[in-house]
Amino acid sequence: MDALTLELLNGLSLFATLAIVALGLGIVFGLMGVINLAHGEFVMIGAYVAYVTHANGLSHWLSLPLAAVVLFVLGACIEVGLIRRIHRRPEVTILATFGLSICLRQAVELIFTKDFRGVPNPVPGATRALGVLFPTYRYVLIGIAVVVVVVTLLAFTRSRFGLTVRAIVADRDLADACGVRTGIANFCAFGIGAATAGIAGALVAPLGAVEPQAGLAYLPGAFLVVIVGGFNRLWGVIAGALVVAAVQTGVIHFYDAVWAQIASLTLAVLMLQLRRVPVEGATA
Amino acid sequence: MGSTQKPRARSRCRTAAIMMALLLGMAAACTTSDDEPAVAEPAATEAAPAPADDPADDGDAAPEPEPTEAPAPAAAGEPAEPSGEPVRIGILFSNSGPAGIFGQPTANIAEFIEEDINAAGGINGRPVETFLADDATDPAVGRQAMEQLIESDGVDVVLGTHSSATREAAKPLAEDAGVLYIYAALYEGGECSPVMFNTGEVPSQQLAPVIPWMMDETGGSKWFLLGNDYVWPRRSFELARQYIEAAGGEVVGEEYVPLGTQDFSSVAQQIAGSGADLIFPALVGGDAIAFETQAVDFGIGQDAIPRLANIYEENVLGAMGPSVTAGMRVTLGYFKEVDSPANAAFVARYFEHFGADAPPHMTFSSHIYDAALLYAAAANAAGTTDTAAVAAALEGLSLSTPTGDITVTGSRHLAQPIYVAEIQPDGSQLIVQSFPAVEPDETCTP
Repeated sequence: MDALTLELLNGLSLFATLAIVALGLGIVFGLMGVINLAHGEFVMIGAYVAYVTHANGLSHWLSLPLAAVVLFVLGACIEVGLIRRIHRRPEVTILATFGLSICLRQAVELIFTKDFRGVPNPVPGATRALGVLFPTYRYVLIGIAVVVVVVTLLAFTRSRFGLTVRAIVADRDLADACGVRTGIANFCAFGIGAATAGIAGALVAPLGAVEPQAGLAYLPGAFLVVIVGGFNRLWGVIAGALVVAAVQTGVIHFYDAVWAQIASLTLAVLMLQLRRVPVEGATA
Repeated sequence: MGSTQKPRARSRCRTAAIMMALLLGMAAACTTSDDEPAVAEPAATEAAPAPADDPADDGDAAPEPEPTEAPAPAAAGEPAEPSGEPVRIGILFSNSGPAGIFGQPTANIAEFIEEDINAAGGINGRPVETFLADDATDPAVGRQAMEQLIESDGVDVVLGTHSSATREAAKPLAEDAGVLYIYAALYEGGECSPVMFNTGEVPSQQLAPVIPWMMDETGGSKWFLLGNDYVWPRRSFELARQYIEAAGGEVVGEEYVPLGTQDFSSVAQQIAGSGADLIFPALVGGDAIAFETQAVDFGIGQDAIPRLANIYEENVLGAMGPSVTAGMRVTLGYFKEVDSPANAAFVARYFEHFGADAPPHMTFSSHIYDAALLYAAAANAAGTTDTAAVAAALEGLSLSTPTGDITVTGSRHLAQPIYVAEIQPDGSQLIVQSFPAVEPDETCTP
């Protein structure tokens, strides 16, 4: 029983991590049709913000809003400088953001070198709840991730800004003609997508290595979630993260981590087959 | 209201320009890592006065199986200035990609290789020059890098420190060209080729003496083996299982996780439930950091279950932090803390030359340095750089280097010292045990 509870908590923390990491990717792809291969690097830079915060003796919690701001600015700059010029052509965005990801990795390497950095856990130890001991930081992570994901999704689906964005998703040219400021909306969507990636990076930093290559490890997971969850529904990120986390945790529990990876990838292939979504995505 | 419509031709032109810029940027990003160390090279050739205990000195390459010291260029003490066409030493290493973290110490040590071999009179009176090639931790790139070293740089020997995957991809090129290839990285063992020598630590060396020692030291006997899913951890665990059982212990769990695993919660739970009192983690890079930092909160940190690691190196340990690592034992063929006058002088010189905050000299760079010295000594003994002659001279060759006393075995591997370091509460490494001249359990008759 306790083992099952623990496994459920493990699954829940994996779900929260996947959801917050994939959120930005889902927003940018779902709303703008941009396949952002530099998304993992946004997460990585968020983790570096946490590292710099720690290195300056500041509280880890401060790094979450800080990472959001830094990544929003960075994302906005990238939108203006690069994405804005090519976002109508998904195949070009793949190449451009791939190049961007290399540039970002190299830039981080130039500033921080290749060395592995660590961010100490701000709340070490475990908490006893539901009859089991579970790491305290993971409870915090689950809480923060869920809040960030839900608030972001609500903002996109319930606010006036969300309405604007959805109008653009439905028909960009018509929205443009009706006076919707599509440029600003894209700018915000990309910035917010990057900002959530930054929060994700800062949030997972105490659980692993902070290094220039770290983003590469997050990208496949994020894509998996978006593929499984569906391309043109934002809430799909939550469904996708839930399914992937359940499959991962379940297969690791009964078999091992290698089979879990195979299972998740098989799942992605099956979902793509079932949906037969054109590669151009939602806004094509 | 700003319209997003633009004249089509202009926008296409602009997109093309951006693409070009990006491609150029990508190309630049890919090549800088190759160029950087190469540019730094010429500075190294100003043959500095060799330190008193220069290990390259032919004179002190003593122990018994010494081959006849043939036309060595000069007597110890006053080596003649090497002259003529340089002997070209290629170094194939990972300076970018996941293993790029180990690159800089090797690039640094290439300077010392030139400096020290030249100061000792070079190879058969000729100076040596090093050529660096980066495999980007990618076998396909590694093959191209090997091709470049052989075809464009025309090297006489390739010293390699990179993954086994790159070795497998690059080896056929060395074999076809008949170029001597000394693979100096720690690896799973079993390599055997007419052009190859393998001087890195193999699992039998890192584990055979250390596993019984570890069980004595901690009183533990129930091992959990946790590794990344590829050949080196699998081979290490296969051997570890034998040594553990021979020492009266048992393996209570053996798990493999894919490279790049970030979440170890389920694995941590398995370990906690296995009743293990010792953990042998064969995890690399970020995976090691993720596992160890997460393990503490699951109550299976080093203070609860002692670790014996065979790859955790300073950079990885530093990122975990001393609160996580204090007490861990690591078994490797070299630590910069090795307690000998020769090593102390070498390490002091390293930090003096490359700066106190340079990426520290470590087992990979140390083995590359030793491989270069072995090559120089063998080529001097053979009086030629001919691959077959140098290979014959290498077998049985002994040297004394900052690493300790090393001897090339008949199986084309290296009998070498194995050290166990214990991580101190301040994060520093202390050598707590050393096993001199550990023989590799390898057989090879190419």
